[in-house]
Amino acid sequence: MNYPVWYLPSIGGGFLIALIAVTHVFVSHFAVGGGLYLVFSEKKGLRENNPGILAFTKRHAKFFLLLTMVYGSITGVGIWFIVALVNPGGISLLIHNFVFGWATEWVFFLLEIAAAFVYFYTFGKMDDKTHVTIGWIYFISAWISLFLITGIVDVMLTPGAWAVHRNFWAGFFNPSFVPSVFFRTFIATMLAGAYGYLTASFTEDTAVKESMTRFSGKWTLVSLILAIPSGLWYVAVLPAHAHRLVAGQSPTIATALHWGFWAVAGLMAITLIAGIAKPSWNLKPVAMAAFVCAFLIVGSFEWTREASRRPFVINKVMYSNQILKRDVPALREKGFLNSARWVQIRKLTAENRMAAGKELFINQCYACHTIGGFNNSIIARAKSMSYTALAAYIEKIHKMRYFMPPFAGTPDEAKALAAFVAGKLNGKEIKEQRPAPDGTGSGKSLYEENCSGCHELSDLKEKTAGWEQIKIRAALDKLNKLAEGMPPYEGTPAEKDRLSVFLYSLNHGSPAEISVPDGKTVYETHCSPCHEVSGLAEKTADWDRAKIRAALDKLNELEDAMPPMKGTVQEKEALASYLNSLKGGRK
Amino acid sequence: MNGQLIPTPDTIPVAWGWFQFLLLLTFPIHLLFMNAMMGSAGIAAFQHFKGGEANRKLAHFLAVFLPLLIAFTVNFGVAPLLFAQVLYGQFIYTSSILMGVFWILIIPILILAYFGAYLYDFRFEKLGKTGGWIISIVFVLFIIIAYFFTNNMLMMTLPDTFSAYFRHMNGTLLVSGHATFLPRYFHMIVGAIAVGGLYTALIGRLKAKSDPKLAAYAEAVGMKVFNSFTLISIVFGIWFLISQPKPVMMLFMSKNVLATAIFIPALILVPLMLVFSFRKKVIATTVVLTVLVFLMTFMRAFVRAGYLAKYFNLGRLKMVPEYSPMILFFVSLAGGLVVLVWMIRKAWQALQA
Repeated sequence: MNYPVWYLPSIGGGFLIALIAVTHVFVSHFAVGGGLYLVFSEKKGLRENNPGILAFTKRHAKFFLLLTMVYGSITGVGIWFIVALVNPGGISLLIHNFVFGWATEWVFFLLEIAAAFVYFYTFGKMDDKTHVTIGWIYFISAWISLFLITGIVDVMLTPGAWAVHRNFWAGFFNPSFVPSVFFRTFIATMLAGAYGYLTASFTEDTAVKESMTRFSGKWTLVSLILAIPSGLWYVAVLPAHAHRLVAGQSPTIATALHWGFWAVAGLMAITLIAGIAKPSWNLKPVAMAAFVCAFLIVGSFEWTREASRRPFVINKVMYSNQILKRDVPALREKGFLNSARWVQIRKLTAENRMAAGKELFINQCYACHTIGGFNNSIIARAKSMSYTALAAYIEKIHKMRYFMPPFAGTPDEAKALAAFVAGKLNGKEIKEQRPAPDGTGSGKSLYEENCSGCHELSDLKEKTAGWEQIKIRAALDKLNKLAEGMPPYEGTPAEKDRLSVFLYSLNHGSPAEISVPDGKTVYETHCSPCHEVSGLAEKTADWDRAKIRAALDKLNELEDAMPPMKGTVQEKEALASYLNSLKGGRK
Repeated sequence: MNGQLIPTPDTIPVAWGWFQFLLLLTFPIHLLFMNAMMGSAGIAAFQHFKGGEANRKLAHFLAVFLPLLIAFTVNFGVAPLLFAQVLYGQFIYTSSILMGVFWILIIPILILAYFGAYLYDFRFEKLGKTGGWIISIVFVLFIIIAYFFTNNMLMMTLPDTFSAYFRHMNGTLLVSGHATFLPRYFHMIVGAIAVGGLYTALIGRLKAKSDPKLAAYAEAVGMKVFNSFTLISIVFGIWFLISQPKPVMMLFMSKNVLATAIFIPALILVPLMLVFSFRKKVIATTVVLTVLVFLMTFMRAFVRAGYLAKYFNLGRLKMVPEYSPMILFFVSLAGGLVVLVWMIRKAWQALQA
């Protein structure tokens, strides 16, 4: 809201960041581990007095120069550029708070490139000891760069005390800093090993090939083994919400970790079997497979780290849409449009509602949602939601789905946003509906208001296939127990009845054809011969519906003379709702 | 324009003067590297097409150093851009977004140019005439990057143009039509080629012992380029000065004492530098040029402040003091420079041997 939004509706800023970041992270970690690999590889060549290994090292260094200096360093600048374009508020906060951290990193970047040039251009022309020292300077500089960037980047995930008083050191040495440095270091050496393994597969000299394959295999395997406990340590220090997301609440993280797991297993198997045990099996396709596994491990980690931060860009401080957490209450009260800088409409009217809704979309949703793009399109996400359902959903979006930022605006602004998404983008009718008095809202509208934000009709149809209506009804009482992260449904029993009928109808014809026992009729049939309505109301005045429902299964246990109820489960449910509705009438 | 569009800046950890000092210290170094890079690429392309043994040899000699110049241009560009973002983030981030498509294009263009430079160097003999085209493309790519940079650095000083965002939300706004754009751009490009010439003469001296003919030729070509392009650059510089809005121009004509105190010695140094350069005093020319680049950078800071004066001055930045990280930086910088000098000495000794 402080900065303009670079608006490419069908592409999305997140995609552009990912495009540059994924490969940069891969190359930059490789650049760190590769430095150490070069030093050890050169030392091995010198120790064994093996010109083949030294030639291998020099060839490796040349590639290293091209990949890390050209692609690695320029995409590093590229990440800075793209993040500043897509999330200027976030980067500005990090740049201003940690400017001397970045500046110190720049010093080591300077040393890193100088050392890389000296190392490559003096290979074979400098005395061995000094040359190896230059290699060490390269590696140490690159590792300190990793150390410094990790401190600043991890603030975004675990800001710790920095979130409160913004102290540089409290932020830098944040809760996930140490495990993250260990984890990234081992990932870096693992990548270097995987690349060494790949280079070895292209080596003609059989002796050198076998020697360097085994060397690279050991290197990769040891790195992987060390990366596992440090990765678990990293996960252990995550804040509760992030921890739950990583532990299975987020489907995309679960997918990423699934890929990561198999990539780790694959890389371990390859390095162990076709590296250490049988180096002659290091054929080009095998080495490529190992390299792809290494890439997937890094991708899986980065995806998990990024996704576990949601809905924040800086945890607990700034949401993904650059709105500060502390500003949300004021924005909900005073309105977003008259507080934001880069909007044209300041006052919402019936005439400008669509245009205002678009501005709200650009400023609050576009950070993650495209319009019709392949990446998280809002059109697809909201296609099953009516205007009223969407307006209601937007108001409680963060409560329903933790990883979405709360809507920062007034109820009228939420409606304007809903009108833009449902009306303009999805072509739905924009019609204000009065809030349904208890007992009159249709099951379909209840679905739209409460479920459609997360569940497509087809999904629910599939999920409830084979379920009796009563099972659906019972499920609506305990949604949060069905799946972790699913909020409980807060509708009235009568609304739950109607919603259950609607959901049941998805697999069993139209709702009108499904007979639902009427609680009042059930009372008249089964209870009225002995009990007055007022008597039952008095009896159950302090009972909740669950207790009433439970009692209907054991009437004979309540009183000796009372016969057990012979009605169906549906009838008992309906009766329980009816009796529950009597409460409050007695005064 | 209403000032409402200008974002609220974040707080800074130390007094703004430190950042201004660091910006003005590192930016001229970036400019010197950038000039050498762009100028030598242009000269290499010209020499390549001119043909003949001496010219091709000179082109190849320049090509060997080109990737190094790119790396150090980028590295020494990072520091001033960082400090500029701290001081003027609310303007720079905004103008970058307004021209987002072009701004991000700099990255793939630079990668392409960088690989092109390596290709030209590593495959010089094999490529033959194609190499001439490759280095020409590299040079053109540099000029395109400069075009985008000039746009952004000018646009950030023109908050009056910001409201055009609402007609260009996809990041395609440029300010090439502004009265000061062309003289500014040409002054930088032509100046860069001139400095590239001086760099050619200077770097040629590395071959003074092993290939004195090449060294002499590099000096002859380089100083010729420097002299001619400096004269053209002066013309653009004058155009650039008189194209400025009067309040900004008057800063250097006594309205601001410090700005005037920088402008006058700069005016005196220009003819002095030309005297040295026409007499082929390479080192003396280099010393005066370096001083001049620093002085011109200081003047540029006054121009920027003058453009923004209506909306902002650096004194308005709020500070939440935290000096200890700055000490970490200065200690690292001092240590880093010692290691850097040691490495360069060792490399020099190894390559000489």
